[in-house]
Amino acid sequence: MVFGTGHAPVVVSDVTKRYGRLEALAGISFTIEPGQIVALLGPNGSGKTTTFKCILGVTGFDGSIEIAGRPVKTQGKDARRLVGYLPQTPAFDPGDTPIGVLQFLADLKGADRRRVDLLLERVNLTDERLMKVGEISGGMRQRLALAAALLSDPPVLLLDEPTASLDTETRKQFRKLLAEVRQEGKTILLSTHFIEGLQGLADRFIVLEQGRMVLDMAADELEKKKGNRVVVDLNGTAPSAFLSALRDIGVGPERIAVGEANLEDLLASALDFPGGSEETPR
Amino acid sequence: MNAVIAIARKEVRDAVAGRWLILYAAVFAVLALGLSYLGQRNLGGLGFENFSRTTASLLNLCLLLAPLVALSLGAGSIAAERDRGHLTYLLSQPISRLELLLGKFAGLVAATSIATIAGFGAGGAVIAIFASSIDASTYVLLLVLVLALTSVMTGIGLLASVVSASRVQALGIVMLVWFFAVLFFDLLLIGLVSEASLGGGGLLAALLLNPVEIVRVLAIINLEPDLEVLGPFGSYLLETLGTTGATVLLSAALAAWAVAPIAVAARLFARREV
Repeated sequence: MVFGTGHAPVVVSDVTKRYGRLEALAGISFTIEPGQIVALLGPNGSGKTTTFKCILGVTGFDGSIEIAGRPVKTQGKDARRLVGYLPQTPAFDPGDTPIGVLQFLADLKGADRRRVDLLLERVNLTDERLMKVGEISGGMRQRLALAAALLSDPPVLLLDEPTASLDTETRKQFRKLLAEVRQEGKTILLSTHFIEGLQGLADRFIVLEQGRMVLDMAADELEKKKGNRVVVDLNGTAPSAFLSALRDIGVGPERIAVGEANLEDLLASALDFPGGSEETPR
Repeated sequence: MNAVIAIARKEVRDAVAGRWLILYAAVFAVLALGLSYLGQRNLGGLGFENFSRTTASLLNLCLLLAPLVALSLGAGSIAAERDRGHLTYLLSQPISRLELLLGKFAGLVAATSIATIAGFGAGGAVIAIFASSIDASTYVLLLVLVLALTSVMTGIGLLASVVSASRVQALGIVMLVWFFAVLFFDLLLIGLVSEASLGGGGLLAALLLNPVEIVRVLAIINLEPDLEVLGPFGSYLLETLGTTGATVLLSAALAAWAVAPIAVAARLFARREV
């Protein structure tokens, strides 16, 4: 994937976003390396979608964001040319057809219209290409949105909760499709509520809570953390109360892990744990 | 530029699919034919009136209908995208906000123009076949003026769409604009003339503040310069500047009205949170 010499695909530097008095993002920073798949995790209202909006340059913010060296504040159009975005809810008119949607977006992106048929085939929507978008299933609409994101063959993909509205089976199919896209070496930032299934797909995990980054860790690093652990059965005691009690007696967060020895629970514990990155249970 | 064309094309396609465009064209055609036919019957004759009489009758109806349609369409454009949650997605594409706005504007003006030309054209064709005498230039002039007014009002509608939080709010704003420009403006000016002793210059300034009034005076000056029909503002203008001078001034004002709302909308849209 070509990003130009010395430019990472996505560089987010000290980004703060306020909606009136509400601080939606509080000085978050991260850099995504070429070909990396980064999972952005966090509960509702943690700032995941706001992060995407800032990266796309569709909302104002303090700090700076660059896509392959192009600042989104001053070269937003050029920066967005390198990004395929899949929103949480596909934004298509129900009266449009899949082929009509993709042709319109191809024109907007300056992409070759011949890619429309190829992508419809790739996401398995060739038979539905002339149906109304309002008549196809949620899973199909999500696949159509993925095809739209891939229209101009962008090096960076931003996928905002792509599987949130899908049932388990469709979610699996969609993840398979993502794994295929990954093979092409695209850089992907993926937000999700669902930790299950991320193992083996994401290279790195960033956890947001109330607009702050509370965890930023490579997948293999998390794997290593599974070893050398002592498991304590809390027997009904709230984990936060237990952690607080441990802190009171001088046992720091660097020595504490919550949950069982698997990736999903380790991440889930990070989501549930209040506070900044220094207090993140390990 | 390609993005502007793509957005404009989609607007026209959506207008055809939504069928309002066909309805709008049909209304214009029926109005032209109906006015022509009824006008002739009132005069005791049979068949269709010629273009000149039809044009004068059409003028007032056009000044009611065209602004209403254009304002409503403009108001619905950006605000409806925001209501449906589509605006962020559109702006996440490699386009600028100005391109989105211009594309919407161009598409809506193109769609309403197609409908207006089709309606006027169908009505005009029937009149041309059956009327006793033909003066098509006045009919065409009215068509051009209606198209210009449609552009202006679409721009004002888009401005309302940009500043509003929802489509309903945008429609509320443009209904007030329509009521003020089409119905209330004359009464207000009459009140101002009598209460505030508005002089000639004041009258002219007031006239230029209302694009509907500009089109009305422009049409009458060129179609049927009757002082009674012109009203006090048009009469003053004609006496001061003459037909050519008044036409140039009013056309320039109309052109400014076509550009200003879009320019303001673009400036506000660039800063607005989506």
